[in-house]
Amino acid sequence: MHRGLVVTAMLALAAGAAWGQSPPASEQAEQVKALLERVEQLEKRVAELEARPAAASVTTAAVTAPSAAPNPEVQQEAAKPEPSHQMEGHMDQAAVRQMEPHYPNLQIRGFADMDFSATDQKGTTSGFNLGQLDLHLASALSPKISYFGEMTFTAHPTNYTVEVERSIIRYDYNDYFKISFGRYHTPIGYWNTAFHHGAWLETSIDRPEIVKVGGTYTPIHFVGFLVEGNIPSGGAGLAYSVGVGNGRGDTISRPGDAGDNNNNRAWVANVFARPVKLYGLQIGASVYRDKITFAGGRNFREWITSAHLAWTRGDPEFLAEFSNVNHRQYFTNVSTNNPGFYVQMGYRLPWFEKTLKPYYRFEYLHTPENEAVFTNLDLVESIFGLRYDISSYAAFKTEYRRASRLPGTPTINGLFLQTSFTF
Amino acid sequence: MKMTYKRLAAILWTACLMCTLLSWRAEGQTSRGTDIAVVVNPDTPISDLSLADVRKVLLGERQYWSSKLPVVLLIRAPVARERDVVLKVIYQMSEDQFKQYWVAKIFRAEAATAPKIVYSNDMQYELVTAMPGAIAFVDARNVRPGLKVLRVDGHLPGEANYPLR
Repeated sequence: MHRGLVVTAMLALAAGAAWGQSPPASEQAEQVKALLERVEQLEKRVAELEARPAAASVTTAAVTAPSAAPNPEVQQEAAKPEPSHQMEGHMDQAAVRQMEPHYPNLQIRGFADMDFSATDQKGTTSGFNLGQLDLHLASALSPKISYFGEMTFTAHPTNYTVEVERSIIRYDYNDYFKISFGRYHTPIGYWNTAFHHGAWLETSIDRPEIVKVGGTYTPIHFVGFLVEGNIPSGGAGLAYSVGVGNGRGDTISRPGDAGDNNNNRAWVANVFARPVKLYGLQIGASVYRDKITFAGGRNFREWITSAHLAWTRGDPEFLAEFSNVNHRQYFTNVSTNNPGFYVQMGYRLPWFEKTLKPYYRFEYLHTPENEAVFTNLDLVESIFGLRYDISSYAAFKTEYRRASRLPGTPTINGLFLQTSFTF
Repeated sequence: MKMTYKRLAAILWTACLMCTLLSWRAEGQTSRGTDIAVVVNPDTPISDLSLADVRKVLLGERQYWSSKLPVVLLIRAPVARERDVVLKVIYQMSEDQFKQYWVAKIFRAEAATAPKIVYSNDMQYELVTAMPGAIAFVDARNVRPGLKVLRVDGHLPGEANYPLR
């Protein structure tokens, strides 16, 4: 623990030093602003010069006076520019041609993180670990067809694992109907589809336990097809997604990537609202149903119900998600409920150019004694953290966690540090 | 269990109170200047949008004008006044939040591309006239012939209660 604190202090000092060395951003912005104003003035001058001969001959050309309201209809065609301005015209046309969409196009973005952890749990050691290297591909194949892929490289004691996290091809008919096929993050609740694997995107260092990658509580991935879109609902801002897929595989933390392990497909439905008058708010609910088949032939019906409320504007940030996983054994008809939730709050402080964001998360998860699908997942945890955005695309996070699992077992305290970024 | 739910209720109540208090502040308007016109390619089958609709378009929640015509978003580069107004009034985000919003949007597979960045009014004009479905934000004094100016909340630039200024 003490070593961890020393490391924290060193990192804090390093961050402070780096901060002190950064160039004055406001000065640069002023210079850019001045240059842009100059460009604007020159453009106006060019426009005036171009308009002069046109004004003499073309009396019908619409000219917008500075204070007058522009014509709502399409403005009439401008007179052709003088030969002396043809060079600028060619340059603009070249820029326009460059910006016009070309198919297929490809964008690659990466996310990565580096972590440090120290806890007072017996049998564990403190130290650094390389988090996940996450590569994201987005490619438009045509104006209506796009492909999205996500691959991760994760460090383990003896090797690295490479995983295709998402691989989706989507056809958009319009805003109300988009159909896709592939491997998804299951649209249950909020977090699983809001943050995916990029640690930099989420305020905290890790995901909540109920949506932990590699965990069993929520089926994180889903292989199949998904239909999604907006629902015409005026100010309510409703949207939906409905999917059918393989559901959980032989190892219940994994989906059936290479095929389903029974003849029963899983399905998921998710509805959420982003009310127009409460910009930033999202409220939603999801249901998921599957049949779980274990190697010994035991079968369970699984029902997952989930509800979430998220204030996504950041000042303040508020995320809350409640979920219940119900399992019923086909043979004995024994039914169990496994409730879990988290509530996370954060607020971007108004000082230091809003780079500091303290946050708190409370998590709860309970599995009853007669639960037959999950091993015990009981957890009550509080997390106090601070996120510092070093730049627009990199962050440093520090967390103190206090967690208790089974009754009678000691409470675990831990210090966690992370630097995460996108490139 | 009961204690846990009581704790949850207390956390939710405190959080709601905090959200209400902290988000209750003056926002949305930039320092008073000229109006910013919303202009589209003349072939776009729309002439009037509410501010909420403009926000949906800019957030990438509305990506099609019609099933055959995708929206092409054009936004001025940083420190242009048009961009300041769009970020403050419509997005209600800082420059960093705006960048992060689009990184996340593409990462979630909700959009294939971010808005196109344009560096001058000339370039903006060329792109809007050349690209079907294009929408851009222009200082009302610089609106040129060949562009279609949209009403926002029923108002045109220069009229009282026009929201983008």
